[in-house]
Amino acid sequence: MAEVVLDAKGLTKTYGDMNAVDNLDLQVFKGEVYSMLGPNGAGKTTTVEILEGLRNPTSGTAKVFGFDVQKDYDKVRSRVGVLPQTFEPWDRIRPPEAIEYWAGLFGRKISKKEIRGLLEMVDLAHKDNVWGERLSGGEKRRLGIAMALVGEPELIFLDEPTTGLDPQARRGLWEIIHALGDAGKTVFLTTHYLEEAENLADRVSIMNKGKTVVSGSPEELVNLYGGGTHVVLKSAGEEGFVALEKLGYKSTFHNRDVTVHVPALMRTKDFMAQINQSGVAYKDFETRRPSLEDVFFNMVGGRMEEGVLKQ
Amino acid sequence: MSRMIADFKAFGLAYLRSRTGFFFALIFPVILILVFGAIFSQTGTQKIDLPVQDLDNGTWSQTYLAKLNATGAFTIDMISPDVDFNRYIKDELKVLALQIPSGFNESVNNATRGHGPPATIILKGDPTNTYFTVGMGVANAVALQLNSTVVAMVQTENLGSPQYTFIDFFVPGMIAFTALTTPMFSMSSICSEYRNRGFFKLLGSTPLKKSEWLTAKILWYTVLMLASIAIMYVVGIAAFSAHFTITPMAILLVIVGVFLFTSFGMFLGVFVSNPESASALANAIGFPMMFLSGIFFQLESMPAYLQYIAKALPLTYLAEGLRATMSLGNDVVAATDLVILLISGLILFMIAARAMSWKGK
Ligand SMILES: Nc1ncnc2c1ncn2[C@@H]1O[C@H](COP(=O)(O)OP(=O)(O)OP(=O)(O)O)[C@@H](O)[C@H]1O
Ligand SMILES: [Mg+2]
Repeated sequence: MAEVVLDAKGLTKTYGDMNAVDNLDLQVFKGEVYSMLGPNGAGKTTTVEILEGLRNPTSGTAKVFGFDVQKDYDKVRSRVGVLPQTFEPWDRIRPPEAIEYWAGLFGRKISKKEIRGLLEMVDLAHKDNVWGERLSGGEKRRLGIAMALVGEPELIFLDEPTTGLDPQARRGLWEIIHALGDAGKTVFLTTHYLEEAENLADRVSIMNKGKTVVSGSPEELVNLYGGGTHVVLKSAGEEGFVALEKLGYKSTFHNRDVTVHVPALMRTKDFMAQINQSGVAYKDFETRRPSLEDVFFNMVGGRMEEGVLKQ
Repeated sequence: MSRMIADFKAFGLAYLRSRTGFFFALIFPVILILVFGAIFSQTGTQKIDLPVQDLDNGTWSQTYLAKLNATGAFTIDMISPDVDFNRYIKDELKVLALQIPSGFNESVNNATRGHGPPATIILKGDPTNTYFTVGMGVANAVALQLNSTVVAMVQTENLGSPQYTFIDFFVPGMIAFTALTTPMFSMSSICSEYRNRGFFKLLGSTPLKKSEWLTAKILWYTVLMLASIAIMYVVGIAAFSAHFTITPMAILLVIVGVFLFTSFGMFLGVFVSNPESASALANAIGFPMMFLSGIFFQLESMPAYLQYIAKALPLTYLAEGLRATMSLGNDVVAATDLVILLISGLILFMIAARAMSWKGK
């Protein structure tokens, strides 16, 4: 069993009469990329900041590397890198200076070459003469990531690192996060992009209204809660539709195509064998695997667009 | 330690790049010195301040003093015969002071009858000073006219020159004032800015400790103040031929002053939510302090109730201490002030460090 890096039990944070985080349990293991997925106001940042020792929970406990976040965080700070959701660099500090500053705070002597390497990694090497205030939103975020990494942390918190970035910049960040995962770092990532979680995370928890709705690896979640595969039988016609209803499958008929919902526990291969045997005629077929999006829809009861939950 | 140095370097860099901070720390005091120096350094036609110690207290001495007063040239201030007069003159930096020796009455009477030389009145002080020369002229003229024959004369006693001018009074005060404004104004707005922009959280996520961060700030403002002092010193000497010196005690006072006012600025920053109101509050507190703490005017010239307020303000002690050590060479007074400042600084520091939190709600 891998080492437990983050361990929260019954974590609750109350504002007024609202529980921003509501009796949350979570465990993150060493070397994992863990993604917390949820709409605006789900309680992601609140959870993250409690785990970073930057807010106190109303009740419950959280441990990082086995140390209590409220009492003993000082013992592990140097092992943790943080990119806050609202990260801003200092106005009048240039990227290489910011990196050097942060290295110093982590007690690390850093060479010009290493600074350059880090800036190249986040694609900021060409901006080394620009003040923080002049960087674009995406550039600021990338500088923040470089700063979070300069202390060579074992655990990295990234709170919505890609929100508001263009697709290309987002892909660039995904590559960095992949590389971190490959390097054996533990990454705690929050996002409201389903494809981001699906793409990056070893494990995902879907959060809504302060509670974990479901958690597990993306494959597990899709298998369990994605609602099975959809198979489209091209030009199967009305006869096909009737035949499938008779076989007991839920289908829809549209434009001479029949879309069949194959239950989650059935293999597509077995389904196709059964159809071919029953003599239903069709020209071709397509399958559509469910994604985390379907999981989200099925479990939360809405779709998410740029973090906004649409019921 | 290395964390603190890293923070010191980055903060200093950002500070130097914000030109306003730089202006207020280094240029503004110089402008004030030049302006106020020019206004107050003129020798006006006002009366000459004259402390008098009458060791005889006979009819003649009283007559003499009454006549002296009638000239309107002096503001006479009677000093008790018990006071060590030379010491008093030195400590209070009097340019001139008059002493009537005991036996004066008898000597005058003898001289009147032609039984002895004229009695002497002693004018002590700094003969190189113009006020002294003027005062000497008047005092002697009055003495010579005390009776129909010459029965008394003024003799001078050179006590060396205190050479204490307005600029010697003003520049140490200005240094004290800058030691207040630079750290206090910038700390109070930095604290609220750091809170609003998430910089405290960012710092809180690193191994940097609050106390290290604070120490780095104090260190930075100290360095800035030392540069500021050097500039004020040069300007004071070059433009007004001032006589103060920069002593180790002055450096100590400035460091402790910066420590105190940095803590105070931090304390203010804890309670205000945005940088604008933080600097408004710092102004509202800083400027009255500047006038009440005797930066521009001697405390003694203020109404008594204001003097009580002044005694409660830390800036008063910093200004007094700096004047004592820099202009008067009196390190005993300065050391007392240092202790007062250090104690209040420690208290403020502890309150502020406790009140300030890097954590979110
Ligand atoms: N300091 C606070 N005082 C009062 N309410 C707060 C505070 N911080 C957070 N909340 C509330 O707690 C809830 C959760 O906020 P949180 O920032 O954790 O959400 P989030 O999942 O990070 O959302 P987003 O995707 O928008 O960043 C929100 O309803 C928010 O308004
Ligand atoms: Mg958030």
